[in-house]
Amino acid sequence: MTLLEIETLKTYYHTETGDVHAVDGVSLSLSRNETLGLVGESGSGKTTIAESINRILPENGEVVDGSIVYDGVNLTELSEKELQKYRWNDVSLIPQSAMNAFDPVYTIEEQIVEVIRAHRPDTSKAEARERAQELFEFVDLDPERVTDYPHQFSGGMKQRAAIAIALALDPPILLADEPTTALDVIIQDQILERIKDLQAEINSAMIMITHDISVVSETCDEIAVVYGGRIVEYTDTETVINEPHHPYTMGLRNAFPSIAEGDQELISIPGSPPELVNPEEGCRFADRCPFAEEECYEKTPQPREVAEGHVVECHRADEAEELRPEANKKEAWTEERPKDAAAGQEGYSND
Amino acid sequence: MGMKEFVVRRIGQLAVTYWAFLTILFLLFRIVPGDPTTMFVAQGLSGEARKEVIENLGLNEPLHIQYVDYIFQVLQGNFGTSFQYREPVAGIIVTKFWNTIFLMLGAITLAYMIGILGGALLAWWRGTDREIVGLLATLVARSSPTFWTGIVLIMVFVFWLKWFPAGGIRSVGADYNGFVDKFVSVDFLYHVALPMLTGAIYYMATPTLLMRNTMLEILNEDFIKMKKAEGLSQYTILYKHAVRNSLLPIVTIIALVAGKAIGGQLLIEVVFNWPGMGRAMVTAVSYNDYPVAMAAFFLMGSVVILLNFAADLLYAHFDPRVTYE
Amino acid sequence: MSTQNRTSTEDEYDILSQHYGGRSRLRQTLAAQREIFRGERLGQIGLLLLAIFLFVGLFAPLLAPYDAQEKLRTDDGEIKRMEAPSTEHLLGTTRLGRDVLSQVLIGTRIALIVGSLGAFMSVFIGTNMGLISGYFGGWTDDILMRLTDIIYGVPFLPFVIVLVVILGPSLLNVILAIALVQWRSTARVIRSQVLTIKERPYIEAARAAGGSDVRVLYTHILPNVLPLVFLYGAFSVGWAVIAEASVSFLGFGDPLSVSWGKMLFTAYTANAIRTAWWWVIPPGLSINLLVISVFLIGRTYEKVSNPELRERE
Ligand SMILES: Nc1ncnc2c1ncn2[C@@H]1O[C@H](COP(=O)(O)OP(=O)(O)OP(=O)(O)O)[C@@H](O)[C@H]1O
Ligand code: SF4
Ligand SMILES: [Mg+2]
Repeated sequence: MTLLEIETLKTYYHTETGDVHAVDGVSLSLSRNETLGLVGESGSGKTTIAESINRILPENGEVVDGSIVYDGVNLTELSEKELQKYRWNDVSLIPQSAMNAFDPVYTIEEQIVEVIRAHRPDTSKAEARERAQELFEFVDLDPERVTDYPHQFSGGMKQRAAIAIALALDPPILLADEPTTALDVIIQDQILERIKDLQAEINSAMIMITHDISVVSETCDEIAVVYGGRIVEYTDTETVINEPHHPYTMGLRNAFPSIAEGDQELISIPGSPPELVNPEEGCRFADRCPFAEEECYEKTPQPREVAEGHVVECHRADEAEELRPEANKKEAWTEERPKDAAAGQEGYSND
Repeated sequence: MGMKEFVVRRIGQLAVTYWAFLTILFLLFRIVPGDPTTMFVAQGLSGEARKEVIENLGLNEPLHIQYVDYIFQVLQGNFGTSFQYREPVAGIIVTKFWNTIFLMLGAITLAYMIGILGGALLAWWRGTDREIVGLLATLVARSSPTFWTGIVLIMVFVFWLKWFPAGGIRSVGADYNGFVDKFVSVDFLYHVALPMLTGAIYYMATPTLLMRNTMLEILNEDFIKMKKAEGLSQYTILYKHAVRNSLLPIVTIIALVAGKAIGGQLLIEVVFNWPGMGRAMVTAVSYNDYPVAMAAFFLMGSVVILLNFAADLLYAHFDPRVTYE
Repeated sequence: MSTQNRTSTEDEYDILSQHYGGRSRLRQTLAAQREIFRGERLGQIGLLLLAIFLFVGLFAPLLAPYDAQEKLRTDDGEIKRMEAPSTEHLLGTTRLGRDVLSQVLIGTRIALIVGSLGAFMSVFIGTNMGLISGYFGGWTDDILMRLTDIIYGVPFLPFVIVLVVILGPSLLNVILAIALVQWRSTARVIRSQVLTIKERPYIEAARAAGGSDVRVLYTHILPNVLPLVFLYGAFSVGWAVIAEASVSFLGFGDPLSVSWGKMLFTAYTANAIRTAWWWVIPPGLSINLLVISVFLIGRTYEKVSNPELRERE
């Protein structure tokens, strides 16, 4: 059953040099209890997607098109005030870094109590406090320390506290924006373990954002691969890992050792993310894609269903079986690309 | 370092500062060119009487004895006798002290109210024309010495609109029963309004601009975004979180504002004929009434130093992150 | 982000190592000033206003239609007391028959002299205090900062008055009194800036390369705090102008010269604020405009200097 349906969402940042098309026509859907992974490199627009849902974008960010339907209600049409009810109560957020996620002048408890009572005014202070302690236990923090100030916590503890407060209202949807990147590896593992356990214990659906495909592969039911503000491949985890159809997904898979099969060398994708200010027609990955053809520069590929529930945005998606072995080779990514492939490339001057 | 140790250390520093201030005061009033006794002995006394006064005041003693003696006297609130009034200085200055303090507290409170609200608004209005207007208004307020602001207010509200009296602290013939009554009566408010506003206009720039700058920083903090994500109302976010966080730096500069206020205050008292310490000091200096001038100077410095001290403690109390270093 | 930081630090290092000599640094500093004011409308307005005041100050005797101190009389020999503005006296006359416009123009000089000298002295003291205190740390720092704290305990205007009364009312004494107190804010801010700058790699490199402390301090650290020095310089001009006006308004100013504060003092004691607005408004407004001009300039520097820096005092 679909809980959240995002359709052709476009979110732009207005800047002096033009609009940054950070999210440029993204469609996603999330079912109850499902965990959806959003993977993509830095700057691909993952955070922007998340922040569009509960509309906490930076001042210059704006949802310019598309719909976000939650439980039958189109959130993009709600006023700020109407949306307030949905925030945290229905969609809560574990931020990318919890370092400064808490107001430094109040204790964690005060902040948990505040959010509970803001949405459930009938809850007594005592009840809310009890809940705060319960939540602390839930994330393996000493409940006694709930009355500490944020600065008294280490980074890892703050991240746990951030998870605790995100769970405060048992929201149907939990957005986890790279909940561990700011931490060292050991703590990362602990927190991920905890999140995995939590998935079993709570009833929230989750959108898990990361640039690390190995993380999503362990935790997510479905994966959407984000590139340059678009979803280039979207299907169940197993298929994404084993039968990627988009060259970028193939590349990503190579980039992370724990997924890449066996003795393979770690290959990272050369080149830089695409220009998002007023992007031109054509595939955004073409500059870096080893399989780019003339068509790729001229026409933007549209989402195509290559199998049931498997959407890919690539002109050569049908050739995936042949391209995949190529993509596993290092040379494919590092070799100078033939000039003629870049024939129709005028305008992409910044390479 | 714990809070207790921090307080103890601050008290130690307070003592040092205070001692240094007393010494400066002593030196200032003794380095006068020529005979220092002219500063403490009223002119026109006969040779006999003069000698007696000098001996009474210990001005014939060596300097270091005078110094020790002076410190003890001052700490006991003994500032000698006014040349002008021929009365003990302490008695003269006490009422003036309170008149000054009430006016100053009123002005600073008003300045802080304007500053906190205004600064928050300026931050909120960032990038709009309103912000520019607000900033310019703040700059104008800040570039006007208090006596000038006072004169403008008198021109407008006294001579033109005739809403307020031109000066003084109470109407002729007004009666008061006791201390409290004196400062909470309508007549007092009627008289204090313009001087207080004058002060507030001058002092408000600092808290306003600081509030604005801090607010702008705070509004960019991650936790503000989180509070928004938590679905708290704009009102709660702005006042309970953003303003509350921005208050910390503002608290610490209370002392600075008060330090500035003491000086600005003096001018206000002159312009509005307010019977406070500042005006007393100016008159005393003009009449060579050094004991009164010195007492006034001492009290004004004390207020600044004590407020500095209080601000430090307040800051530590307000900001849980302070490590008491 | 991190790469950006790295390059900017390296650039700075390059610049510093290439332009070791003083002259090219001066040129560079001047060029940097131009850069700072580019596109800053309010800052440019400030510069323009200040330029006008400088012009007026320089050529005041030529611009003034009358002798500012002269008691002007009508043709039948009567003193022109408190005459309203007319074509003859654009801003009217004072109670003693002096031309207000001429007084305002001449008064610009005092304001500029006190402003620039007072600011220069206080910033000079403050900058050196801050540099030494921040750079050497330890007990030097302790003593200098304690001293700063103590000066913060001194009420400014009363102190200036006492000093002027003790030393005698002259322009130089007013300036001296201002400088003796005003350096405190510069010292504090420069010190905290130096504390962060001295940790930068190129400073450590310069020290390791055997540069003497004085050299490191004045050729490597000072250029980095210059925007702050200019900022506090600009503000100090404003504070000094206000302070001088205040002292003069109280009647403790230089008895020989005409200043805006003194004009207001005479107008106030002559009860002219009730009747002769033309005598009151021009000097007051001049104070406003001059101080605003330097504040606007200061604000521009504030934007480029340490963003953590806040408006103080
Ligand atoms: N306030 C803003 N103004 C202009 N551009 C912005 C703004 N915020 C983000 N962007 C741009 O929008 C694009 C998407 O940013 P976003 O933060 O959503 O990426 P992300 O996938 O979350 O990256 P990361 O993994 O680094 O968090 C980037 O190119 C970024 O530079
Ligand atoms: S459309 Fe072309 S360029 Fe884009 S990913 Fe597919 S093959 Fe590569
Ligand atoms: Mg992100």
